[in-house]
Amino acid sequence: MGNPWIAIGALALVGLLIPVGMMGISKLLRPSVPEQGKRSTYESGEIPTGDTRIRFNIQYYMVALLFVIFDIETVLIFPWTVIYRSALENGVSLTRTLGPMLVFIGVLVVGLGWAWRNGAVKWVRSPRAETQKDAR
Amino acid sequence: MTLSDTIAGLLGLNANDPLQFGIAAIIASTIVGTFMLVNVAIAGPWAKRKITATFTDRIAVNRIGPFGLMIIVADAVRLLSKELIVPEKVDRPAWDLAPLVIAGSALFGFAVIPMGSGIQVADPEVGLAYVFAVASLASVGLVMAGYASNNKYSMLGGLRAVAQNLAYEIPLVLTGVSVVLFAGTLQLGNVNAANTIVGAQQATLATVGGIEIPSWYAFVNPFAFMLFLVANLAEVGRNPFDTPEAPTEIVAGYQTEYSSVYFVLMYLGEFIHIFLGGAIIATIFLGGPAGPVLPGIVWFLVKIWAVFLLTQWARSALPRVRIDQLIEIGWKGMLVLSFANLILTAIIVGVVV
Repeated sequence: MGNPWIAIGALALVGLLIPVGMMGISKLLRPSVPEQGKRSTYESGEIPTGDTRIRFNIQYYMVALLFVIFDIETVLIFPWTVIYRSALENGVSLTRTLGPMLVFIGVLVVGLGWAWRNGAVKWVRSPRAETQKDAR
Repeated sequence: MTLSDTIAGLLGLNANDPLQFGIAAIIASTIVGTFMLVNVAIAGPWAKRKITATFTDRIAVNRIGPFGLMIIVADAVRLLSKELIVPEKVDRPAWDLAPLVIAGSALFGFAVIPMGSGIQVADPEVGLAYVFAVASLASVGLVMAGYASNNKYSMLGGLRAVAQNLAYEIPLVLTGVSVVLFAGTLQLGNVNAANTIVGAQQATLATVGGIEIPSWYAFVNPFAFMLFLVANLAEVGRNPFDTPEAPTEIVAGYQTEYSSVYFVLMYLGEFIHIFLGGAIIATIFLGGPAGPVLPGIVWFLVKIWAVFLLTQWARSALPRVRIDQLIEIGWKGMLVLSFANLILTAIIVGVVV
């Protein structure tokens, strides 16, 4: 049995060489007719206005913050799932294997409930969008 | 025995020598990579059109070759020979690397997937963690594409893509590890290796009318299976969760500004990703490449194509959810349900053992 990570590295190499190869083939095939007009970005046929670094909904930031918390939590759950069954089979009681994890998940669920109540996962509307909705 | 070991044995190479084993592994990777690309080539330019056409009562491609199959070659040449238009003020390195990241990262996952008949490049002990890790790398590529394109639609598409993947990543992983509670290992293994995720699914669950039903985790825990199917649809960004691309809202999202080979690579990456999702579902819920009579590789193909058909069905039949609905379904629905599933599974295992 060889080291599996060498094999994974080999596949990573092949997985990168395939798209690079396709880029190379395309480079040989495709024409190049540079022209300023077709280089403008697509904005439904209009000349693009303003910068791309636009203001966007704060919701994207809120869910990213939430994600960091819950992602670390999944990392901590991984080792527990691996040892859970063998610990039970070796006679460790359910209160000692499942109990602490219930507390851990419970704390997280309370945190999620708090974020939920604070509106962290509720889509934020701008005041203007709200008045437009009321006017309808 | 993985495919890399088999090839090393056939060529008389020493598997313990990193260089010699590396050569065997590259040959094995090329076989697996080409095999998946053939699947994608059939799925992308041909099967997808045919399936959607059948759903909408049309005929679709039928001019070139039998059943229009030669459209695959024609489309490959056509797309690769398009001019590559580089829009103004794109962030050059990121804009060029994004298609590479999207297409490459989707292929990485197939390193550990057991495809039956001894086809599996590697079998590390943390196979499941690895496959989840590389499957989510694509999000980085989507953000790169969206942010570097210098286009407002791309920007919004990239933001939506990352918000969606964040919302569904945790339910996906939590539901995925609930099978680890049964198996007690992260190693994907193969049909014959008992203490692995695939091997553990070969035991008999029940006998109905003389037919032995294997303990595939889709049968043992159907609730987790359904959750995983939905989370997977969102993860690969297919309907009803294709908000990052949403052609009727933001043109094509993060891929608006891509043409020529970059466009091909974006699409290729998405399709490999659908098949990777199908392969993960097949491996951890549908008994891997196991099945009666036919060889393993055929059953593996049947299972991943079944998942592909399901995504295409959803694409034709279901309306798209809005971005705010998507976030709410993810954080308020799926996350709570996946916690419930994890605890439920732990209690079931606790009672059974």
